[in-house]
Amino acid sequence: MQRFVVLTLNGLTEGSIYAAMALALVMIWRATQVVNFAQGAMAMFTTYLALFALERGASYWLAFAIALACGLLLGAVVERVLVRPVESAPPLNVVILTLGILLVLEALAPMLFGGQIRSFPAAFSIVGLRLGSLQIPLSPFDLFILASVLIMMGLLLLLFQRTDLGLRMRASAFNPEVSRLLGIRVSRMLTLGWALAALVGALAGLLIAPSLLLYPTYMDQVLVFGFTGAILGGLDSPPGAVIGGLAMGFSLSYVGGYLGSDLETVGALVILIAVLMVRPRGLFTLRAQREV
Amino acid sequence: MLEIDDLTVTYGPVVALDQISFHVPEGSITAVLGANGAGKTTLVRTISGLVRPRSGSIRLGQRDITRLAPESIARLGIAHVPEGRGVLAELTVEENLRLGGLWRRDRADRQAAVAEAYQLFRPLAERRSFPAFTLSGGERQMLSIARALAARPQLLLLDEPSLGLASRVLTQIMARLKQLVVEHKLTVVLIEQNARSALSVADDAVVLSLGRVVAHDRARRLASEEGLRHAYLGF
Repeated sequence: MQRFVVLTLNGLTEGSIYAAMALALVMIWRATQVVNFAQGAMAMFTTYLALFALERGASYWLAFAIALACGLLLGAVVERVLVRPVESAPPLNVVILTLGILLVLEALAPMLFGGQIRSFPAAFSIVGLRLGSLQIPLSPFDLFILASVLIMMGLLLLLFQRTDLGLRMRASAFNPEVSRLLGIRVSRMLTLGWALAALVGALAGLLIAPSLLLYPTYMDQVLVFGFTGAILGGLDSPPGAVIGGLAMGFSLSYVGGYLGSDLETVGALVILIAVLMVRPRGLFTLRAQREV
Repeated sequence: MLEIDDLTVTYGPVVALDQISFHVPEGSITAVLGANGAGKTTLVRTISGLVRPRSGSIRLGQRDITRLAPESIARLGIAHVPEGRGVLAELTVEENLRLGGLWRRDRADRQAAVAEAYQLFRPLAERRSFPAFTLSGGERQMLSIARALAARPQLLLLDEPSLGLASRVLTQIMARLKQLVVEHKLTVVLIEQNARSALSVADDAVVLSLGRVVAHDRARRLASEEGLRHAYLGF
């Protein structure tokens, strides 16, 4: 029973990070019908930038802010400079382009920051909290992970559901042509969408780096798990992405804990294949209704 | 108001519009008629910037809008109600209406425009927080037109508004448009396949056939020309 509680709490924390990754993928998918396979590598890069700042004497919070800001910027630049020229090409071209960006960033990182495995600090203690004499498997840093992912999702929800800017962004994603007829500058909305998605990714990269350690490919598995979570949720539903990401966190934690940690990646694959076979449109997709 | 001059549009080797010229006076309704494939939809899509012409020019008042992007043209006060599925199905009725004039600065007037749209289109008011995909075809068409009017346009491009609308509702909408034309100097370009009903509300009419203007006259006079009616308008 105690093991189950430990695995569940662990799954919740990691799942929240996969949920953030899934959300970043879904934001770009909805706007451009492209899976951004460079999402993880971009987050890896911004986390390295945070480490770079830390080593030059910046405080944790300054480095944190720098990574997030660079995420925003990197997302915008990637969309403007690299994705925009192939925008009207078939979606497969853009997907291959994102794979190219992934390779370039993962080759660039060791050149700029060194290829060895580095440790990355956590904002708070990673020792489990104490309730009287009982130690629970949830550390202050875990709470920070949960809180920051929740806050970020809350802010995104506010932006998309409660502001005119968010309304414009959603309209642009659903129907660019009609949006342009309504006077919306769709290309700006796209850039902003990529920037926000990269910001969300950067947050995921910062939060998981202390437990995975930092090396040029450390985000690859987070991307795979986040992607699986996004597929679970149907790829075009933000709440679905969050639920899918959390579900990935729980299932991988149970697979790792009960069957052995070597099986985590296989577990992700099995889940992905099972979902694609049973519900190829994902568990929460809206598509079916849209086609009426 | 709207001056189309020597406009040619091609899709690859196909000439969709062939040196079209005509003028739409301010505060009037001009119907653009013709069979399927005559180039009517291409014409409005070119006016609103979605299609780039090969040559010729389009002027709104004194301003050349030929090469402007669609979003810039919309911000000059040209509202285009596209044929068929113009509503954003995933968004609510209210959100669709708000989007109509979202580019305008005057926030209070934007809200007033949305409120007026509900006044005019009662069925929409009852569905304001429903996603637009729950609406019937006619209600969607209404929403599309209401959204365009919420931008308080000076020029309204209507592509087949009769599609899916009950004729009673269409008559009601046309009466309201007439009123806006008279009171607020709204200018309307009305694309219709149903020539008879279009000619009954329009001031002027342009008849297109295979990308060329074959007739341009007062609507009343065109309706009485039997030869033209038989040849191009099918009634």
